[in-house]
Amino acid sequence: MDILNNFNSLMMGLSVAMQPYNLMIAVIGLILGIIVGVLPGLGGANGCAILIPITFAMPPTAAVILLACVYWGALYGGSICSILFNIPGEPWAVAVTFDGYPMAKSGRAGKALVLSSLSHGVGAVIGVILLTFFAPIIAEFALKFGPPETAAVMILTFSAMTRLGGKSALKSLVAIFLGFILAAVGMDIVSGKLRMTYGTVPLMGGFSFIVAVIGLFGLGEIFLTVEQGLKMEGIKARVRLKDVWDALREMVRYRKILMMGSLIGCWLGIQPGGATPASFMAYGFAKSSAADKDQYGKGASSGIIAPEAAGHGAGTSATLPMITLGIPGSPTMAVIMGGLMIWGLQPGPMLFKEHADFVWGLIGSIWVANFLGLFLVLAFVPLFAAILKIRFSILMPVIIYVCAIGAYAVNNRMIDIHYMILFGIVGFLFKKLDYPIAPMVLALVLGSMAESAVRQALIMGRGNPLIFFRPPIALPLMLLALFLFFLPTLSKWKQRLSAKKET
Amino acid sequence: MRKADIIVALGLMLVGFIVLADTIRLGFGWGMSGPEAGFFPFYMGLGIVICTFFIVLRGIKTYKKEGPGKPIVVEGGLTQILWVLIPAAGMVLLSELIGLHLATVLFLAFYMGVVGKMHWIKVVLVSLLIPLATYIVFDKLFLIPLPEGLWGKYLRPF
Repeated sequence: MDILNNFNSLMMGLSVAMQPYNLMIAVIGLILGIIVGVLPGLGGANGCAILIPITFAMPPTAAVILLACVYWGALYGGSICSILFNIPGEPWAVAVTFDGYPMAKSGRAGKALVLSSLSHGVGAVIGVILLTFFAPIIAEFALKFGPPETAAVMILTFSAMTRLGGKSALKSLVAIFLGFILAAVGMDIVSGKLRMTYGTVPLMGGFSFIVAVIGLFGLGEIFLTVEQGLKMEGIKARVRLKDVWDALREMVRYRKILMMGSLIGCWLGIQPGGATPASFMAYGFAKSSAADKDQYGKGASSGIIAPEAAGHGAGTSATLPMITLGIPGSPTMAVIMGGLMIWGLQPGPMLFKEHADFVWGLIGSIWVANFLGLFLVLAFVPLFAAILKIRFSILMPVIIYVCAIGAYAVNNRMIDIHYMILFGIVGFLFKKLDYPIAPMVLALVLGSMAESAVRQALIMGRGNPLIFFRPPIALPLMLLALFLFFLPTLSKWKQRLSAKKET
Repeated sequence: MRKADIIVALGLMLVGFIVLADTIRLGFGWGMSGPEAGFFPFYMGLGIVICTFFIVLRGIKTYKKEGPGKPIVVEGGLTQILWVLIPAAGMVLLSELIGLHLATVLFLAFYMGVVGKMHWIKVVLVSLLIPLATYIVFDKLFLIPLPEGLWGKYLRPF
């Protein structure tokens, strides 16, 4: 019964996504996304952030399709750059360089590209199947959530991120706290008081997460790129039919790794880690379970399949917590969710009830867009790779220009461009010193929601923090959060103990 | 690298203290209607101060044990970054006066001509065409006004 219902809703969503206007938007989004993914310095997160002001004039469904397609496009595009140039266009495409570039270098660039795109496709399909059938169930469940439960889910989110983001938990925590503080600058919605403005007018408007994303991811990345001195020496690639056939055979041969990669990706997308840790984790798993370990790093097919499927699986399934719980599973999803709030939609379980056409339109577009994306990438690879042939001294200032336009257009404030440059420097320092940026962006987007959930919960509990551990839902969530947070510490202790025993 | 680590952590700790000062002014306890305005940021600021304290402590410990380590910026990297940062900052300041598009024309021309050492015909063409195209797309098609600066009104040809 439920499944039949979902199927009907999916058909409705597909028909929304197939409307000519939405289809056109999807193709534009995908092309922009692939370009953004190929270019170092522009990524999914800041690509979406820059485009948000343009979406103000669109209906919300078309707007979300545009932004989501930019994300899918960026997921595909990041790999092109990794495989052909050995330069990851995106952080989630780093793991692909390990085997993708060696394979391309040995004259099988076409095969590497097809393998990567097809794995992306499979990861996406598994993610979207999960989304189609589980999202309504989780949304139904989440309708029972009160403020303590919402707060517990957020705490769970951040404790999972703390352990996935960087190397040091302390630095992840600092990043999260800083994000929340930046979100709190400006007027307090509850009391109407001005907070942390120190009597200055520019701070009264607060910090926009869009500006932060553009600065942290965009400019920070550019500074990193110039520091290391970029050399673009690409491999020429054309995709022939034989490559497609070869790649398909390899996919069937490594179907287990393909499935495992996709599932790891989906899990990390939901829980939320995002595409980047997912691709690394899947690569690690594939390598440790392989019989021919010495092939890895020299162009092993499974070394391309696993991280690619995981990356795209994570990207797709990151939609699930966003539309059901109002918690984004990756930085890019955080930006898209911020867009949702600007368009006047409240992300969370009520979306399914109040804006069914929006939610199912989005899910439908994921199905459509991923097939379109696959086709676009395979057909036009040389074209997209040619973008990287443009001299860096043209590319770089243009990217900064585009970033400045995006930052300004959010609120039409000049001060935002100044903030953007400031965030760029912060982003560079944070990247260098291993402070993770993704949790900070997530905290900045979720800031006001998290704060009001915590405050309302405390009012409900009359100031007693035990309300966050209220059964039946909040308690297990909080226990899981604590478990995830302390798991690495515990395992370290265990290792130390066993090491002592041996000596 | 380790020195920079300690300095950045100290800077973040300072941010934490500044936040704490303001939240104490706002009140971080229990008010008439539940938690006061400074409640949430207070604990966030406190968290930053505590975490950065440990980061600094650990940083000093490794610094004493293993020395300063590699520099934070790759050798010769800093000049490269400044070659981007200073023109970009200049562009932003210029756009306060002459608007973003015109400032970009100069920025592009400067970067391509001086840093990229490209042929001047290319420089002129690209640095005029790209801002013109974005001007038409944003200001005319999507009706998103971009900053025109103090003197923008007099400089715009159409």
